[in-house]
Amino acid sequence: MTSAFAQSAPQTPDPAPDPYELAAPWAEELNRDVEEFDARAEFPWEKWKTIRRSGILTVPFETRHGGRGGTLTETMRALEGLGHTCRDAGLGFSASTQIVSVGVPLQAFAGEELKSRFLPRIVSGELITAHAITEPEHGSDAMNITTTARRDGDDYVIDGGKMFITNAPIADLFLLYVRTGDPGPFGLSVFLVERDTPGLRVGEPLAKMGLRTSPLSEVTFEGLRVPAARRIGQEGAGFLILDHVMKREILFSFSLTLGEMTHRLERVIRHARTRRQFDQPIGRFQGVSHRIADMKIAVETSRKWLTDTGAKVEAGQDAAIDIAATKTVVSEANKSTALDAVQIFGGQGYLTGTGIERDVRNAVGGTIYSGTSEIQRNRIAALLGL
Amino acid sequence: MSTLTDEIRGYVVTEFLDGEDTSDLTTEFDLIDSGVVDSLGLVRIVSHLSGAYAIPVDDIPLKPEHFRSIGAIAAFVENANRAAA
Repeated sequence: MTSAFAQSAPQTPDPAPDPYELAAPWAEELNRDVEEFDARAEFPWEKWKTIRRSGILTVPFETRHGGRGGTLTETMRALEGLGHTCRDAGLGFSASTQIVSVGVPLQAFAGEELKSRFLPRIVSGELITAHAITEPEHGSDAMNITTTARRDGDDYVIDGGKMFITNAPIADLFLLYVRTGDPGPFGLSVFLVERDTPGLRVGEPLAKMGLRTSPLSEVTFEGLRVPAARRIGQEGAGFLILDHVMKREILFSFSLTLGEMTHRLERVIRHARTRRQFDQPIGRFQGVSHRIADMKIAVETSRKWLTDTGAKVEAGQDAAIDIAATKTVVSEANKSTALDAVQIFGGQGYLTGTGIERDVRNAVGGTIYSGTSEIQRNRIAALLGL
Repeated sequence: MSTLTDEIRGYVVTEFLDGEDTSDLTTEFDLIDSGVVDSLGLVRIVSHLSGAYAIPVDDIPLKPEHFRSIGAIAAFVENANRAAA
């Protein structure tokens, strides 16, 4: 009876696999020689091919451009899964930047010609991308960007420079946020520029504390001539595009962080259960167990903020405070739990070979990029009318 | 007030004046000069209008005067909807 029923039951197609699982089959390749690549501050090109094969880069893009047609929250899940699987946080950060820097704004704001020309190769990861927002004199102060684009016939001529541009040393395509009008909310415009365009110069990779496998550098522009057809959106729409991009940059890159924190917590719990001192597992000591309990609270608080804020943004709701709070909560939780892990692992945590100290160095960057913790608190305070 | 104006008013109160006395918030109240809406606030308003009323960003004239008051915002949305119909 049961068997007959099972045979006659309607066949439902398998649900699409959870994007969280995309990275897991590639763990061995992604985690090969991470310490060595970090020590050399070298972008792992072979692993980039693995990232491409995994399909993670395709998640939020339309199927007609080679994407998976996923939602914002599905993209967050994919990156969380990558963070959980991949111990090379720099590689994960470059992948997150790849998704959000050019592909996302192109899909949302560009015309069909630019989309069909560039998106398939961005989605596949063949073209590596970067966006250039920060300037040497205006780190978090995008309202005062001074790099200018001057209209000259059918072109714009761009002069100025950008700093701390993730992926710049390896990028084929740049999205430039530059001034085309008076200071204010509608004075910025956005241009898509190929690396070999005369007048664009990419600086040498900058040595840095963490995320060393994700290269960044200065980019300067001198008489950089860009066709007006390469402008994304109308003139003056730069802040609207930036608003769209920054929400996703924070949600995507810190979903990656959430995956990394979850992995760290699992590792610390295993260690506390198996490492014995004074004839008992160290997890029996409240000094250790309470620290791990606090790590758990930090991880789950981060998850709640990311989940709630992702849902709000996906629903098109105003999420200005939520984004700033999410970024602050997750980045600071990452830093504190990374330090907790060093303390719990003791001498082993202090050695480079375990990767625990690398987590600390990587985590510090999260409290700085995409707007420092101080800027996020300023933003929240301003939104509260303070 | 029209439904649209009510909607815009509700959005402005929720996002920019939460917890404040809004009894004197008329449709002509200058949101920019009063400091209720700053530069980034203007970006949020335009972004909200684009999403909530399905107005393509490229069809939105990026000039502060369109977003200076609840009445101006409502008039802009009404015109955009009429043009799209």
